[in-house]
Amino acid sequence: MAEARYTTTTRVPPEQVWDFVQDMDRWAEFVMGYQTHEKRSETESVWTLKGDLGVMSRTLTFEVRITEWNGPSRVRFTLRGLNEPMSGEGAFTIEAVPPGSEGGPEGSAAPAPVPAAPRKAAPLRWLEALARRLLRWIGGRSERAAPPAAGAAASRLTFELRIDPGGPMAPMVNAMIKPLMLPAAEQLADRILARLEEGRAEGGASR
Amino acid sequence: MASAPAPTAPPTRWDQEVDLVCVGSGLGGISAAIAARDRGLSVLVLEKAPRLGGVSGFGGGEVFVPNNHKMRELGIADSDEAGRAYFQFLSAGFADPTLQATLLAHMKPAIEYMEKEAGVRWIAVEGLPDYYYADAPGSHPGGRYLSVDLFDGRSLGEWQARTYPMTPHVPPGALHREMYAWGGLACVTQWDYELIGQRLANDQRSFGPGLMGWFVKAAMVDRGIPALVSAPARSLVVDGGAVVGVRAEHEGRDLYVRARKGVVLAVGGYDWNRELARQYEAMPDWNSACPPYLHGDHLVMAGELGAAIAAVPPTDLALFYGYHIPGEESDGHPLYRSSWECGCPHALWVNRAGQRFCDESFYKDYQPRLRTWDGQRQTMPNLPPFLIFDQNYRDRYPLGSFMPGQPLPSELVVQADTPRELAEKLGIDPDGLERTLERFNEHARRGEDPDFGKGSRPWSVRLTGDHSYPNPCVGPVERPPFYGVRLVPVSVGINSHGLRTDEHARVLHVRGRPIPGLYAVGNSAALLDLGGGYQSGTSNMRAITWGWIAGRHAAGA
Repeated sequence: MAEARYTTTTRVPPEQVWDFVQDMDRWAEFVMGYQTHEKRSETESVWTLKGDLGVMSRTLTFEVRITEWNGPSRVRFTLRGLNEPMSGEGAFTIEAVPPGSEGGPEGSAAPAPVPAAPRKAAPLRWLEALARRLLRWIGGRSERAAPPAAGAAASRLTFELRIDPGGPMAPMVNAMIKPLMLPAAEQLADRILARLEEGRAEGGASR
Repeated sequence: MASAPAPTAPPTRWDQEVDLVCVGSGLGGISAAIAARDRGLSVLVLEKAPRLGGVSGFGGGEVFVPNNHKMRELGIADSDEAGRAYFQFLSAGFADPTLQATLLAHMKPAIEYMEKEAGVRWIAVEGLPDYYYADAPGSHPGGRYLSVDLFDGRSLGEWQARTYPMTPHVPPGALHREMYAWGGLACVTQWDYELIGQRLANDQRSFGPGLMGWFVKAAMVDRGIPALVSAPARSLVVDGGAVVGVRAEHEGRDLYVRARKGVVLAVGGYDWNRELARQYEAMPDWNSACPPYLHGDHLVMAGELGAAIAAVPPTDLALFYGYHIPGEESDGHPLYRSSWECGCPHALWVNRAGQRFCDESFYKDYQPRLRTWDGQRQTMPNLPPFLIFDQNYRDRYPLGSFMPGQPLPSELVVQADTPRELAEKLGIDPDGLERTLERFNEHARRGEDPDFGKGSRPWSVRLTGDHSYPNPCVGPVERPPFYGVRLVPVSVGINSHGLRTDEHARVLHVRGRPIPGLYAVGNSAALLDLGGGYQSGTSNMRAITWGWIAGRHAAGA
């Protein structure tokens, strides 16, 4: 079993995050290795990803089935490999964060981090990268706490993913994909929030 | 590519100056670098790919050395005379006697040097016979192949991420002896994947990546030899007829490196240069299992200086047949896998007429037969070959990385309920396939193949045989549904043409004299030391040996 759990925080209100997350077409391209996806019903879709194992890449096709749809706080899903013996599950969880309850000092006006243009000082970025790398190795968990602006509504987005390779080679495949899980979770959640932050900066929700 | 006169005149100012430049970072280039550095030379390694290791880091990692010191440690008897007889058999009269004698005289010192001075931990692969054991003169039942102990990729420091941690061609993290103890390739579903997974998690490397790990560590980490990746050499710099440097590209600009003692060309062959492959290998189609950086740069750069190109017959080298699984890529190019499925029970090959034409379990038998030319019809009747197997095969053995029970991609594998239907779908003569299966199955039920002797070679049995069968390579193809795959050539980088070299690995001019300051080793040098035949592990062995010879010669030894 390979798993990852990644939490990040944004100034964007939960309803706005949910509004974005509930439409997979808006964030599909943020999935690591994304190639295509096809909605087959309200709860079922088929995704094709390119899995990159360093020396080779391989096209993987998954069937994703929504098992819980509880807006604006949670969506859960299962996944099943169609061309590889894999199964798994995952969830997006969106929570409201009271102003000043998380991250930096009360009343901090520091902006939420946008991965494409991080504003932290270089040594801090280095430390953060080291910590996240360690977290990857020991448990596949990471959290990026961003202080919400004073008096602003804010959200905490958590993305969880677990994949269980099947077949005789499962332990080997597990070892191969394990280092990829947390970066995949980080990429998806961070890019979603980056897009929302861009929309906010432009004066409205990203649609 | 930046344009410049070729060959290039010395620049007004060199970007770097060293004694020896090794172009290519496979076993040949790195061995030359180690040998030269240990003799006091300053060395720079230039690598075209974004990772060090070349084809050597992507392959199986076997090194074939008769009468090697690890055999002796295990008490396995062998002799230099037997080794010579075997190489003479392999050469089939096409070897250059001087080059072969030089190779055989230096292979053991080079291999032992890399253990004593460079820390490479060799292991003899017990019980893996020579290809032609037991009927070839001097052939041996097992121990001549060397592999390496597990290599810890974490010890490479900055080079860990810039070397190959695994190869897509073999499940990673297993030692050769374990692979065979676990049943070989036919029993790949029964390997110890818990152990392999633990090793992968700790970057414990084996096969080619492990082999190159030891060499890169010895060169780049232990000796501090500098290397540049993504730095293709574009031309040789010449002064007064001698090679005095290299013009390479690095980070978007020309890089002029002076080489006071010489340049070693160790860039492999030309697998990814379709034009050269078509001209030199005489096959109507061509694909490669190697990283996509083999463009024949050595032939171009040295050719500009008048270097002689020499050849051995392409008929009996190491050209496999295989397939591309849709969606699989390596370095942005389609990944081709050689097919070993044909060596398992319940599988065979046929041509378009639906006829068998070879011992499918022994690629040295099928390779020349694929080149059969029908002079009456101006065709190659055995191309393309088709892999045919049945549900008994599917229940037991993988196809590439697709395990039993896993759906096979319809773009690659054709499925049908009867042999006739399968033949029609594949474009094979249905009557021919039915007749072939009838005869094959009649004998296969008894574990026999009187037509081509499938499973008669100990090497084949060891590699792909299922030892639960009376004949580990033979089982009837009779249980529906039936499956078929159209196969294509898959080269492993061992080409028939290369630069002509002398006993010091110096490149020879078409007039027969050495070109001062220019060496070629590994698969960049013509295989005149081997001649007409091939045995797995000889490519790695000659890369190490000639690299070692070149590095020492450049240092004045």
